[in-house]
Amino acid sequence: MRNRLAGLITIFLIGNSIAVSAWAADYKVALPGYHYQFPRDHFNHPDYQTEWWYYTGNLRASDGHRFGFELTFFRQSISRDANPSPWHIHDLYLAHLALSDISGHRFYHEERISRAGPGMAGVDENTGVIWNGNWQAQREEDAQQLRGIGQEFDIQLNLKTQKPPVIHGRDGISRKAEGVGHASHYISFTRLLTSGSIELKDDTYKVEGTSWMDHEFFTESLDLTDNGWDWLSLQLDDNTELMLYRLRHKDGTIEPYSSGTYVDAQGKTTFLSLKDFSMTPGGETWKSSQSKGTYPVRWHVSVPSLAIKVDVATPLPNQELTSAIGPSYWEGAIDITGQRAGIPLHGVGYLEMTGYGVAHGASVAP
Amino acid sequence: MASLSLFSRLIVRPARREPARSLLIVLAVALGVSVVLAIDLASSAAAGSFRSSMETLAGDNDLEVTAVGGVADQIVGQLAILPYSIRVSPRIEDHATVVASGETVPLIAIDVVAEANSHKDQQAQNQNVDSRKIETPKIDGFKHINDADAIWTTRQLAGKVGDKITLLINDQKRDYTVRGFVPESAQVNGNVVLMDIAAAQNATGKAGHVDRILLKVPEQPGFDVWQQKLRAVLPSGVELNAQGSQTAANRRMLSAFRWNLGILSYVALLVGAFLIYNTISVSVVRRRADIGTIRALGASRNTILAAFLAEAAVFGFVGAVLALPLGRLMATGAVRLLATTVDALYISSRPGSLSLSGESVVLALVVGIGVAVVSALAPAREASLVPPTEAMARGAREYTIRVERTRDAWIALALALAAALAARFPAIAGKPLFGYLSALLLIAASALAIPALVFWITSVASTTLRKFMGVEAMLASRSLAGSLRRTSVLVAALSTAIAMMTSVGIMVGSFRQTVTTWMDSQLPADLYLRPAGDPSADRHPTIALDLTDRIARLPGVESVSRFRAYEIQYEGLPVTLGSAETNLSRFYQSSGFLSRRPAKDVLKELLSPDAAIVSEPFANKHHAKAGDVLTLPLGEKLVKLRIVDIFYDYANERGYVILDRSTILRYLPDPSASNLAVYLAPEADLETVRNEIKASAAHSEVLIFSNRDIRHEAIRIFDQTFAITYALEAIAILVAVMGVAGALMSIVIDRRREFGLLRFLGAASSQIRKLILVEAGLIGILSNIAGVVLGVLLSLVLIFVINKQSFGWTIQFHWPVAILLGALTGVYVATVLAGIYPARIAQRLNPIEVVHEE
Repeated sequence: MRNRLAGLITIFLIGNSIAVSAWAADYKVALPGYHYQFPRDHFNHPDYQTEWWYYTGNLRASDGHRFGFELTFFRQSISRDANPSPWHIHDLYLAHLALSDISGHRFYHEERISRAGPGMAGVDENTGVIWNGNWQAQREEDAQQLRGIGQEFDIQLNLKTQKPPVIHGRDGISRKAEGVGHASHYISFTRLLTSGSIELKDDTYKVEGTSWMDHEFFTESLDLTDNGWDWLSLQLDDNTELMLYRLRHKDGTIEPYSSGTYVDAQGKTTFLSLKDFSMTPGGETWKSSQSKGTYPVRWHVSVPSLAIKVDVATPLPNQELTSAIGPSYWEGAIDITGQRAGIPLHGVGYLEMTGYGVAHGASVAP
Repeated sequence: MASLSLFSRLIVRPARREPARSLLIVLAVALGVSVVLAIDLASSAAAGSFRSSMETLAGDNDLEVTAVGGVADQIVGQLAILPYSIRVSPRIEDHATVVASGETVPLIAIDVVAEANSHKDQQAQNQNVDSRKIETPKIDGFKHINDADAIWTTRQLAGKVGDKITLLINDQKRDYTVRGFVPESAQVNGNVVLMDIAAAQNATGKAGHVDRILLKVPEQPGFDVWQQKLRAVLPSGVELNAQGSQTAANRRMLSAFRWNLGILSYVALLVGAFLIYNTISVSVVRRRADIGTIRALGASRNTILAAFLAEAAVFGFVGAVLALPLGRLMATGAVRLLATTVDALYISSRPGSLSLSGESVVLALVVGIGVAVVSALAPAREASLVPPTEAMARGAREYTIRVERTRDAWIALALALAAALAARFPAIAGKPLFGYLSALLLIAASALAIPALVFWITSVASTTLRKFMGVEAMLASRSLAGSLRRTSVLVAALSTAIAMMTSVGIMVGSFRQTVTTWMDSQLPADLYLRPAGDPSADRHPTIALDLTDRIARLPGVESVSRFRAYEIQYEGLPVTLGSAETNLSRFYQSSGFLSRRPAKDVLKELLSPDAAIVSEPFANKHHAKAGDVLTLPLGEKLVKLRIVDIFYDYANERGYVILDRSTILRYLPDPSASNLAVYLAPEADLETVRNEIKASAAHSEVLIFSNRDIRHEAIRIFDQTFAITYALEAIAILVAVMGVAGALMSIVIDRRREFGLLRFLGAASSQIRKLILVEAGLIGILSNIAGVVLGVLLSLVLIFVINKQSFGWTIQFHWPVAILLGALTGVYVATVLAGIYPARIAQRLNPIEVVHEE
């Protein structure tokens, strides 16, 4: 669940009567019973207002140097006018590219915003490319090639599919709140064997590791998570994965529709509702000097039905993406230690936390 | 201390005793310097500001991608996805006229969405840097992002956000809503309208194209490497240059114009120099006794020399300081005139702010002190040669230095021959240096020939004058011949000013006549249409496509010829590329070609593939001749064009390359026209057809000119263009006449004893008055004669050497008799008037007092 875009969207929607009115009339909402067709559903869904493709991963170079990365492509629909000009804005494309140099104790991140324009950003099912400028993900049958050219670093990664795509939630939708349409279509590749290269400053690292990919599309009129959310992807060393999220309300309560998914070694999925798991801050915090937000960077997670009890901690506390365009959030590589039915269990993953910084949805840029 | 008291005795006291003399020198310096300064300030303000708002808003980029007819949209996408860390900023750059005020402002379109990234980058980079460095204005959020009527403007254009503004873009009026303001921090020069690219493509008719793509590349591995890498991915006809190369090209184009203007401004200074020389010479004579005393007391020659030079330097300094505010004031007037010229001949510009920089102050001081000291050199030397015995002589010695008039006349002849020789040399680096040398030699020759002329004319005239105007006239004539040197300097100064006026007058008049004749052949159509808005040499707004067809179908219309112009760069200089329907119409039918072949034959050849004709200024600048091959980027291709012939053209100085419409449409398939020429059927009535066209153009803002209108308009623009030269002449004349007045003043003071004696011997005061006025009149006549002769010679140099080498126009020599006669009479009358006040002073001299004084 990557609902942060709701925050981003608010910025564009303020006073943007075009987008608001367009929403009601022109878009579909995520409804139960959606029939998924792959590979078609890996690509664009212009009938839905918001969509994103989200890659995160933990990598290690042959010399032991450890990295985390994030490459995300967002699409936010602005209008569905029949204007034929390539410069007319039907969708805004945002993208985030981040590199966690865990061994080097530094976090690098960039963002960009584009219109589709004459080939500047978009999703092309024929060529299999999802791109924003020179950041792109190219889909092949069992693999995806990622490329991100940053000011300070470049990444070139080849992601091999290890398990079939997972559809989260129930009956084809992942619910966020009570009521029709307050849900998304949410697909993940939970284990992607990754190899490639990272260029940072003047060094080139050959890296290997595992990645995770989320793809979500929906139409929502309101920011339903009024105080932010916490999201976890865990890739455990027994070849299983967990995705968990909790939506926080302003009054401190947790949205009952918060949920998760367990993927076993064979790729079979189990839906986890809020009562099936617990996910609580573990006391350790990190305060951002930029957004002034205080993030809980250690978590205790337990899923009693699976006999899983693990501790989630980060090797690099500062993995906050401060944004000039949208809200700032923390998205970073994590280490997992714990046990399953008494047997030690380890793993890596990614943690996302939003709504801890200055006024939710506001940019930290001066 | 000794030298100080010497300075005080020799210089300060006389200066105080004769405030008129000091004032005259200071004024001559001040006027001359202020003209130089005014032109310097005004020309940099008028010429330096073109496109600057485009460049200010272009931001900090390294390279720019351009193409004739625009860069295809897809190239923006192709560049954006290259695996390099470059920033890609597409731009549409056009002009819009604010209908309410009539002001034409740059219209700049940016990718509002992508610009949010640059803004963010800059914020990141400039966190600790001066925030004014942020060139690109931040567009508030993405509100109104798809509104075709959303604009962002400078504060002066609208009262508040939400205000409506009607803009004329090409030939269409459209209503826009101000959605925000360009922040002051962007430091835009003048007004500007910003739009999103989507809205601008729609408004300017540039769908599918942008005008420029700006690129910011990383520092590593170097600019040249990036240029090569990027060049490799672009089609051959698309150009990749360092950012601002257009501006650089424009500056190069304007440099010759500014240079010539600068030279012209120094003529006023030259006239000033003659006067300073004269005034100081007179004062040296008056101070001979003082000089002799000081020499007798032991001062060396060098001390005397230094004292007089120091005096000149002080006068120069004071004059230069006075020239600063005066020049600034003159510049205010000049800048408007100059901007008009630059607009008409070269490029859209808007006068920048006039700034009196440190450089201008240094220029004024150097020129002011320099001209004063140089003018004082000869008189100061003369002063240093005064023997100490002079102090012992009783009474002041008269002004009796001999003038070697015969020797000087021979030198003058030699200089004139050298001038004729210099006129035959070609330009150096595009600048007619030898042309100016030739002009300078002519002026020097004339100055040296003047003593002989004055002597000869006055001696011939004195008897005649006596017969017709009485004894006073004869005395006046003799007196002029007697103080030959002083008279010669005065005549030289005034005649140089007159010569300048005459030569420029002849050149402009000839040019005007040439253009008029040329228009007879060049404008054969009955009606002409162009989009409304300010005309400028580098703007080519287009006319709605369907209008052409509607007009062609109107009864009474025989044919419509479409002309389309594009701005291109050739060899680093801006050029206008045009396409005309040469087959269909009578366009250029009667044009004159350098080859003197009949137009019909040339135009037939122009119809063959990839043929071109070029204008004379183009050929001149780029050393092109018939048969040469030009390689031009057209669309995405590099096209080789064969020059069929060169045509005479006086429309602008940038130069034209003209193709047949069928040729250009193969490479640039945009059929819109910039101008239409309408030919009427023989029996059609002009006014009827004109009204019908007006009716069918109801939805377009086009101006319709009849053949007569357009000629009238062309001549009006022509006259506007040369207004500045008239202004410069007027100032030179003013300086000269002022000098004559001052000189006559000092003559009166100088000759007090003479006048006193005359009165003593029985002359009436009215006779003294007549004497002075006749002297003034004689100086006027002598100056007019010398000035006209010199002026005609200078005009030949201007027309056939300087103009030809700087601008490349062939001008037929023509006598603008009426204008010249008028101007010369004016100068004569002014000179006589200048004599009235000195005459009155002389009249009032008390003879007894004066004679006693001595």
